[in-house]
Amino acid sequence: MRNLTTMLSALLAVMVSSLFFTPAFAAGLLTPTGSKLPPLEIREHHVDVVIEDGYAITTVLQVFANPHAEDLEAVYSFPVPERAAVGEFTFWIDGEAVTGEVLEKQRAREIYEEEKQAGREAALTEQDSWKTFDISVHPVRAGQDATVRLTYIQPVHVDTAIGRYVYPLEDGGVDEERLSFWTYEEAVTEAFSFNLRFRSSWPVDEFRLPKHPQAAVQQISDQEWEVSLLNESASAQIAAEGGASTAAGVAHRLDQDIVVYWRQAQGLPGSVELVAHKENPQGRGTFMMTITPGDDLAPIVAGRDWVFVLDYSGSMEGKYHSLVDGVGRGLARLNPQDRFRIVLFNNQPREITPGYQPADPETVQRFMDLLLGERPNGGTNLYSGLELGLRSLDADRSSAVVLVTDGVANVGRTERRDFLDLLENQDVRLFTFIMGNSANRPLLEGMARVSNGFAMNISNGDDIPGKLMEAASKVSHQAFHDIDVRVLGIKTGDLTPERIGSLYRGQQLVVFGHYWGAGEAQVVVDGLVSGEPRSYSTRFEFPQTAVLHPEVERLWAFAKIEDLQNRLDYFGDGPDLEQAITDLAVEHGLVTDYTSMIVLRQERYEQLGIERFNQKRVEKEQLARQQRAVQSVRNNRVDQAQPMYSQQRPSHNSGGGAFGPWMVLLLLPLVARRLTAARI
Amino acid sequence: MKQQNVPHLTFALVAIAWVVHFLPLDPALVYYGSAEIASGENWRFVTGHLVHADGDHLLWNSLGLLVLGVLVERRSRRLMALSLLAGVIAIDGLLLASGLDYYCGLSGLLNALLVAALWLEWRATRSAWVVAVAASCLLKVVVEIALGDSLFTRISWPPYAWSHLAGMVAGVSAVWLEIRATGRRTANRVVRMAGPQTRT
Repeated sequence: MRNLTTMLSALLAVMVSSLFFTPAFAAGLLTPTGSKLPPLEIREHHVDVVIEDGYAITTVLQVFANPHAEDLEAVYSFPVPERAAVGEFTFWIDGEAVTGEVLEKQRAREIYEEEKQAGREAALTEQDSWKTFDISVHPVRAGQDATVRLTYIQPVHVDTAIGRYVYPLEDGGVDEERLSFWTYEEAVTEAFSFNLRFRSSWPVDEFRLPKHPQAAVQQISDQEWEVSLLNESASAQIAAEGGASTAAGVAHRLDQDIVVYWRQAQGLPGSVELVAHKENPQGRGTFMMTITPGDDLAPIVAGRDWVFVLDYSGSMEGKYHSLVDGVGRGLARLNPQDRFRIVLFNNQPREITPGYQPADPETVQRFMDLLLGERPNGGTNLYSGLELGLRSLDADRSSAVVLVTDGVANVGRTERRDFLDLLENQDVRLFTFIMGNSANRPLLEGMARVSNGFAMNISNGDDIPGKLMEAASKVSHQAFHDIDVRVLGIKTGDLTPERIGSLYRGQQLVVFGHYWGAGEAQVVVDGLVSGEPRSYSTRFEFPQTAVLHPEVERLWAFAKIEDLQNRLDYFGDGPDLEQAITDLAVEHGLVTDYTSMIVLRQERYEQLGIERFNQKRVEKEQLARQQRAVQSVRNNRVDQAQPMYSQQRPSHNSGGGAFGPWMVLLLLPLVARRLTAARI
Repeated sequence: MKQQNVPHLTFALVAIAWVVHFLPLDPALVYYGSAEIASGENWRFVTGHLVHADGDHLLWNSLGLLVLGVLVERRSRRLMALSLLAGVIAIDGLLLASGLDYYCGLSGLLNALLVAALWLEWRATRSAWVVAVAASCLLKVVVEIALGDSLFTRISWPPYAWSHLAGMVAGVSAVWLEIRATGRRTANRVVRMAGPQTRT
């Protein structure tokens, strides 16, 4: 099994390294290609991130400048961050910050166009499926600036004691139609800043940005860290305002993801954490429960059959040979009793191995030579490729499929529901790596979920060895399948995710829900490990009132919308489900595929009969943020009295040691003595 | 002991560490990895010591190697090689026994060299400085093992201070072997000088 782990790791390594040679597109201002309109500038781009209590709040403030003699429209596009719920969008009109309201998507677009035609200020944030958030602002007055601010929240997971936050900026470049239509302007002409404040219930040993070594990382305490990344203009601006200037870089281009890691201290226990929001003691509360399992999943010793389903469509050009190299290196490490098959697909699939092959060196080399003879071209018939890969599975052996694709199916069956049907009817695990920001994340995650496998997000900014360890640790251990969470002793409802699926070693389980009343409850987590039932439980109090985390309501709504979307994907078109998503998004002020957020002049809200629900919600959240900021770090663990897990949480069983500056200093007397002796 | 003018071995090791770090090579292919070694990738027993987790890790370890290597190799290349060999054996043995999945870095070996450097210095000077430095270094390692964390240093991998202790033990072994070898050589020299009349 360990050999198989190595194989998967090697494959991932090569796949990821191939990303570095792929031209990256970026977040930026869009101008139609060939347009006679002059381009605008991104004058300032400031990102403020607060990570605490299990979720991240990212605020992006931008200043668009129009140096030309006519009023223009700014259209800014950036990749959709993972599970990001956009809940706040502000546009400065006549020097006053005006907060946006969420409307049904079509209506919001119509109003925006009307306002634009009338020459009135308006701004719109829309979501283009899993790909991008698009911000439109009109007008950016001639010779003037326009300022907008966008805030989104997202749950933050820790995997195998490593936390990860990504500020996505790179576009994978898979949407050729879009790329041929728009020209991207990603340079920030003046100030760029990225500031992150991190506060954790658990001590953190290390905090770093692997691809941004110039970032200033400051440890406030074991549980509080700050990160600052500025270009020269922002640094000078801070210095002029009397603040302490931190690390200064050059003028910034929005073309590289900012990936931040933190490593929890070793030896921390498995735990259950609860963050709740409940304003009215008699009313309904919302909770986010984060379960970090103990390290009690045993290593797997049995062998498996591996099916590689490899994309060799035109979009894999430039990555294909690295991919073949990775497959070859991985196969070379298999045990003789392991078997493999290889399926290639572009417009059509074909299997290059006649059934399962033994992994002896001669056989591996023969198929590597065959693979190297192929030239990527054509479209991506992902469905047929998977279908062929899933044929001829041996019921007597454990099977796993490794899918390598850019994730954008564009030939043959492309409906998500078809893919889910295909996988749900098979006893096979799908492991897939979501490469970059433009892969069809919902599709790949959905397939991994129904097959009880896992999908892993990889950015160019990631620490590749770290991701390797993460993947290896998962496939080399048992998994906890068919998980069910029950809350007893208190009334709860609307639990989400509806279908949890599986947890692999190191993964956390985050469950959202509503509750009524207060008091002690028993939480039970049931599931199967290698077919045997396993159950964990604990008891803790649900609070009567809690007002520090109003964002939990939006996080619950976003998770619920994901459930509804999954149902919609599975059962096909459903006006009721679409309406349910729209209603939920409007009520909780969320931008989705069905809703957009629009900012208008204050008086226009009244004239158009748009109620200011989101403004009230934003005010409440901003107040809570201010209160949290002045409080000390909270410990959200609730199972101290009756721990759910007896084992420590898993962490990467790895280590290194540095000699360090102090050891070098300690040696100086010896060096000095030696030099003196040499002179004598 | 013959004085070496240019510490070639030290410079070569520093150069290798830097080249490995900056080569466009997947570092996951050269870390010490227990699963990979079990599947036959035995080179990791050696390369794991030469690859580093990040720039800081590389910088301070190579600086340490430069200082210690010059101190030891200029006076005894053999002791330097012996210390490194003993360090590799001791640390890899520890890693195999502990079941650690991954390991990287020169610092374990540096502790073997540290012991060798301190012994050479003590032998030459009998200075209290040597005792003070030795005590400080030992105390640091013990505290790091007790805390499960590294002092004064942050690298992107979790600290594994046991490898430093293993390195020190290896250094003591290397020094012991060196003393024995030196003693035997001296005895042999005496025997040779005494000639056949001493034989019975």
